[in-house]
Amino acid sequence: MSIISKINSKLVGKYKNISLDEDSVSFSEYLENKSINKDIALVDVDFKYANEPVLENIDLNLNKGEVLAIIGPSGTGKTTLLRLLSLFHRVDKGEVKFNGKDVWSLSERERLIIRRKIGMVFQKPNLFNATVHQNVRYGLKIRKNWYERIQSFVFESLNGYEDPKVIEKLEIVGLEDLYKKSSKSLSGGEAQRVAFARALAYEPEFLLLDEPTSDLDPRNTAIIEEAIRKARSEGIGIAIATHDMNQAERVADRVAVLLNGQIVEIGNAEDVFNNPKNEKTEMFINGKLVY
Amino acid sequence: MIFLDLTTIIAQEVVLSSLMAIEGMVTLLIEFFEAFGRIEFPFESNYVLSIIYVSLYVSLIAVFLSTIFSIPVAMIVGFKNFPGKQFVVSAINTGMGFPSVAVGLFVLFLVSSQGPLGMFDLVFTKEAMIMSQFVLASPVITGISLSSVMSIRREIRDAAFAMGGTKLDRALLIIKEARYGIITAIVAGLGRAISEVGSVLIVGGNIASYDGTSITRTLTTAIQLEARQGKFETAMILGVILISIVLFINWIMIRLGHNRISGQWGDGF
Amino acid sequence: MKILGLGIAGIAGIGMSGCLGFGGQNSELPPITEEKLTLTTTTSTYDTGLLDVVNEAFEKRYGVSVEAIAQGTGAALETARNGDSEVVMVHARELEDNFIKDGVGINRRDLMFNDFVIVGSTDDPAEIAGIDSATEAFEKIAKTESVFISRGDNSGTHAKELDIWSESNAEPGGEWYREAGEGMGPILNQTNMEGAYTLADRGTYLSMKGDIDLEILVEGPIEDGPEILMNPYGIIVVNPAVHDHVKYDIAMAYVGFLTSKKGHNIVENYTVEDEQLFFPTAVSEKPNFQQYVPKEWEP
Repeated sequence: MSIISKINSKLVGKYKNISLDEDSVSFSEYLENKSINKDIALVDVDFKYANEPVLENIDLNLNKGEVLAIIGPSGTGKTTLLRLLSLFHRVDKGEVKFNGKDVWSLSERERLIIRRKIGMVFQKPNLFNATVHQNVRYGLKIRKNWYERIQSFVFESLNGYEDPKVIEKLEIVGLEDLYKKSSKSLSGGEAQRVAFARALAYEPEFLLLDEPTSDLDPRNTAIIEEAIRKARSEGIGIAIATHDMNQAERVADRVAVLLNGQIVEIGNAEDVFNNPKNEKTEMFINGKLVY
Repeated sequence: MIFLDLTTIIAQEVVLSSLMAIEGMVTLLIEFFEAFGRIEFPFESNYVLSIIYVSLYVSLIAVFLSTIFSIPVAMIVGFKNFPGKQFVVSAINTGMGFPSVAVGLFVLFLVSSQGPLGMFDLVFTKEAMIMSQFVLASPVITGISLSSVMSIRREIRDAAFAMGGTKLDRALLIIKEARYGIITAIVAGLGRAISEVGSVLIVGGNIASYDGTSITRTLTTAIQLEARQGKFETAMILGVILISIVLFINWIMIRLGHNRISGQWGDGF
Repeated sequence: MKILGLGIAGIAGIGMSGCLGFGGQNSELPPITEEKLTLTTTTSTYDTGLLDVVNEAFEKRYGVSVEAIAQGTGAALETARNGDSEVVMVHARELEDNFIKDGVGINRRDLMFNDFVIVGSTDDPAEIAGIDSATEAFEKIAKTESVFISRGDNSGTHAKELDIWSESNAEPGGEWYREAGEGMGPILNQTNMEGAYTLADRGTYLSMKGDIDLEILVEGPIEDGPEILMNPYGIIVVNPAVHDHVKYDIAMAYVGFLTSKKGHNIVENYTVEDEQLFFPTAVSEKPNFQQYVPKEWEP
């Protein structure tokens, strides 16, 4: 037992507060303890899939505490853009910068730490085959060290357990009563709301949403949009890909217009919708662009 | 060097404890059967119980070891692309129906005193039987786990990746999502192992001591022996016992997998 | 899931406690020899049950457990050639001789004999009942083309059957001659079902007599039948020079036990269905040099 507690205290020690002087600690340690207090930036990024160009010359940044809507017709690469932001794929050209450092020049471990500060919600809920509580808890669970995980497995198998953080996030989407239900028994709207709570559970600094409400009815859409506002007020940087112009107008601070894999316009929501600089933008907004 | 000793000691301890736990489990099982039905056997109960013990000992350990080996293999084959992948998948599927006598002959060749593993003195022992059943069960467990694991949608893995899961986290998640299929795989592997007669006969020798206590005699080889001697009634009774055991193990496994319907994982894990 | 957690804890506990009782070794034996000896033999010998009695007595005397493997004559000798067994007990003199000639087997002893009988249904279409010549009986079977089931598996019984055919004027083959490739028990069952003829060792026949409708139509030498139906058993030890891991001393102790007065008595008193099955030949005042060498060997 003593060997295990030695390992345990070593791991716990890693998470204690370290001096915030950037020079005296490694980038990893810095990341672990300081939040990414600036932004995520894509600088002159190209991305190809199977030798076909998908995204070209992308310059984009996502700041904390704002909602950035990425609008454009289906298939222009909105999903791909979000996947680049959540580090699914390497970029073919350009840099993906967190706090000024290009992530793809960092080690695997450092990238994992950054990834853990990001949350993502997909178009489909993609819940696991388990209860709502277990789904939402997943992110919290994998952030514990193995000793703790085995402990909780044994302990909680014998007693029931409700994680207060899970209940708190479920309250944001109005589903705190359903935490014991199996994910299979939820309606589409409920499932997507759980997916939202799941992404928020581990308190990420950035949230990426890929057309989160396109399959939902107006009521569920409103609940999700309210949750987006709440997250934004907590200082989370949110990027939402949507083809619903009205949604973009409702929730976004800034808007990026993605056409044919390129960003044709990016700016404050008001400016983009009322005074678009690019003629293509204007045509798209008014539904005049034909594909 | 000390580290190596420590690891060896720990490994030995783990193996020993697992074996003792299995022995304890089997004793439980045997006592359960005894209490369950006191049927009149035309032979000593010691004979039957020791045969049941050997059958379970060999097959359970073989399937246990095979599971530890097969599930990671199924994951790797399922999710990695490597040269020769098609060949490996074909080999797994072919291996599922591999004739048990052929495997028995091969293992006999390995463990015979003339063979490459001769120095371990494994011929005609339960351990050699475990080896051959490991070879027989693994393609079954790997193949069924493989198809079940590959049927998990990629988006589920993506969700785990996006939430910051490591490779190991994602692998565990997939195993949990595919648990029903994996349990089916294990049950199928166990069925194959406990029901086969060809390899354990050749490799084990169907040995029983003079008082009937089985040394390498399993239910299947005992049935073969009794049938050969024309004692068909005895053979039938042993057959019924074998089928009952298979059904019982099936039942336990399905109870564990039943949780798929109610959607429960182990809490916290 | 709760049950699983409890179950694991419970099983671990039981497993720990099982540590005390489950030795696996028989702790009543004297500590001098807690060894095992591997013996390979034929299925018909094994199925008589004689070895269980012999091995029990041997273990009580020497503390050595004998693991007897019933493999069939060919396999028994082959296993010994590979060094995977230490003693062979078979009843196929030609094969035994080859075994000795190749230097793998040494110190052969004649052990005992029983005999073969020709059995068939009471209908007896070939009319062989009571004939005292085995070759003549086979000739009649061939002539009437009555169904004959052969072991077909290179066992001692099969070897004897082929011997008789070659001594006779008849040829086995054709529709009526069926090679089944099975042990004596299943062969007798098949013969019973088809109302056919077969050659069987007396021991297996006796042990199955209650369940089948076959009768002994041609007797063996034990009941004054023809000598050719004699079935002598030999016991041979594996040469430690060829396989140096064999427990030669223990193997010789086993042979010694079987060929002693004690072994003699056990063999003589062994009965199946109240009939004596084996006639021991090892203990004898008269010298029997032929048992030590291949049959045609001359000085």
